Amino acid sequence: MIEIKNLHAHVEGDGTEILKGIDLTINAGEIHAIMGPNGSGKSTLSKIIAGNPEYEVTEGSIVFERDFKKIDILELEPEERARMGIFMAFQYPVEVPGVTTSLFLRTAFNEVCKAHGVDEMDALDFNEYLKSKMAMLDMDDKFINRPVNVDFSGGEKKRNEILQMAVLNPMFNVLDETDSGLDIDSMRIVADGVNKLKNDNNAFLVITHYQRLLNYIVPDYVHILHDGKIIRSEGKELALQVEEKGYDWLLS
Amino acid sequence: MSNLIENFKTLKNRAETGHPAWLNTFQDERFANFEKAGIPTVKNEEWKYTNLAQLSKEKFDALTDSEGAIPEEYNTYVNKDELNIVFTNGTLNNELSNITEISGVEIKTLKNALVENEEEIKAILAKNDIGNTDAFIELNNALINDGVFIKAKKGTVSEELIHIVHLTTTDKPIVNNIRTIIVLEESTEINVLESYVAFGNNAKYLSNSLTDCFVNDNATLHYVKAQTESEASYHIGNTRVSVERNANFKGFTLTTNSGFTRNELDIVINGEGSDGTLHSLYSIFNEQHVDNHTSVDHRVPNCTSNQLYKGILNDASHAVFNGKIFVRDIAQQTNSYQLNKNLLLGKKAHVDTKPQLEIFADDVRCTHGATIGQLEEDEIFYLQTRGVSRKDAIRIIATGFAEESVEEIKLKAIQSKLLYLLQPSIDNLSHGQL
Repeated sequence: MIEIKNLHAHVEGDGTEILKGIDLTINAGEIHAIMGPNGSGKSTLSKIIAGNPEYEVTEGSIVFERDFKKIDILELEPEERARMGIFMAFQYPVEVPGVTTSLFLRTAFNEVCKAHGVDEMDALDFNEYLKSKMAMLDMDDKFINRPVNVDFSGGEKKRNEILQMAVLNPMFNVLDETDSGLDIDSMRIVADGVNKLKNDNNAFLVITHYQRLLNYIVPDYVHILHDGKIIRSEGKELALQVEEKGYDWLLS
Repeated sequence: MSNLIENFKTLKNRAETGHPAWLNTFQDERFANFEKAGIPTVKNEEWKYTNLAQLSKEKFDALTDSEGAIPEEYNTYVNKDELNIVFTNGTLNNELSNITEISGVEIKTLKNALVENEEEIKAILAKNDIGNTDAFIELNNALINDGVFIKAKKGTVSEELIHIVHLTTTDKPIVNNIRTIIVLEESTEINVLESYVAFGNNAKYLSNSLTDCFVNDNATLHYVKAQTESEASYHIGNTRVSVERNANFKGFTLTTNSGFTRNELDIVINGEGSDGTLHSLYSIFNEQHVDNHTSVDHRVPNCTSNQLYKGILNDASHAVFNGKIFVRDIAQQTNSYQLNKNLLLGKKAHVDTKPQLEIFADDVRCTHGATIGQLEEDEIFYLQTRGVSRKDAIRIIATGFAEESVEEIKLKAIQSKLLYLLQPSIDNLSHGQL
């Protein structure tokens, strides 16, 4: 579904290279985890996939395959990537004052509909659709009339990200340190949501510093990122080894 | 004498007033005061950022006019079943007005009040101890043609909207001097919306309005001023409010898609346990200019005041905010807040903001701040990652910024009207941060 080849990148306006040649292939139906120490480039990778303009790619490609068509997404705007089915759950979801969560979700949903030539949904139908997704995720509907993420707790913000994922139904999902700042209950709720959304046609890339989240979202592959490169890729057991021994043994 | 003052003098003399003798004397005195004060220049600290040089060169033809067709937008904006007092080009429009009765509230034109409530009006006009007393207030007093008198009688609480509409339809350059007087007796609560609208009219005219509000003990006035005038027009508006014991003034001012605007809102807090809330939104584009001056005078202890002025500036528009807070030496336990937030979207747009705090009491809490900035890039990016184009993201976030203010207004009927007026400025948003 997604094929990252020899990806090099640095912060826009700053020459220091952060990603130094990433190669990663993810197929439909798979869950991949990327682990790594602080500063290894984990979050940079997710931001580049989403199209954050703060980073500049100097070499390599990210090819996304959908409906038997392969497209290098690096030249696309963030919204074009989103409409094609690429989604990033933010580590720090952004507050948008004055814009209600339900309006935000409906606008986003209808953008995706438009891009695929499907009829847009009106407010009434969308509310029904939204309610069904919230029920699936065991979410309370009190915050859909509140402004996006404003005065949300850390757990609510992350659950809102998963709700957006459920509503937009993307193909390729990146979870950028979704576990940071979450207590164990919130983490379980978020993980349950992801497990419900996972199917044979979509794929997940879970970026995390700790192994903890991977107890709940079980990966097929674990990659260790260090100094801008993937230095090891194995099955889920690798995460347990990191939990036990830390990162140092991998780096020497 | 400047040409403009001469021009106003001619208009004053030409007007057939039919006023009582005391009013003629009063107006003559006030015109003399106006002549003495003259048109303020930028050398005057209060007018530093709002230059009246252009206005000084204008020539006006009349105080009122009867020409012009009613624009289509008017019928969308005004619900004819609601209580409406409508003036077109300075004259009461009987056809459009719907002055239904609200039990316990006296509502009439100033002309009628001058006959029916002569002594009361005389006393109110003579009051000159609340807030601003500048040249344009003198001018308003000297040239008043009509206006509205509203009095809520003791104990009356009404949820009904009282809508005063000043609609300009004429192409003639007129000088419209509107006076509104709102009196809330003890333990009353009413909702008043004053609209200054032109809807597509491009005429050059001057609205010089003055509204005086008297909020007595235990009363609450919800007062909204909404303004969408011709881009070639001048609007100089003064609103003066006195608040007595345990009373509330909840004010909101909207200026959007207008011409050259100066709004002054002065509130004097005279009674303990009271609150003054002054909120505002300005959303402007092209070369529109809006200057908001506020003054909150805490004269007694244990009161609060709250000012939040928010602006969206596109293109080469210009906004000024000058907010004064006075806390007199006896006004202990005052809690006063002031914030001016500006979204600067146009490349040539600019803002001059100036807080002015004069605090003579020692046990008070006064906070103030001002921000001028663009939209947060991380908010725009967040929406983009959900499939929303950059242009739409900017529109959605800026609309949110605007709607957030409007949604604080109590009556939904007013909210929807203001959102309607905001639409042209929202449609013009995309010029900015693209």
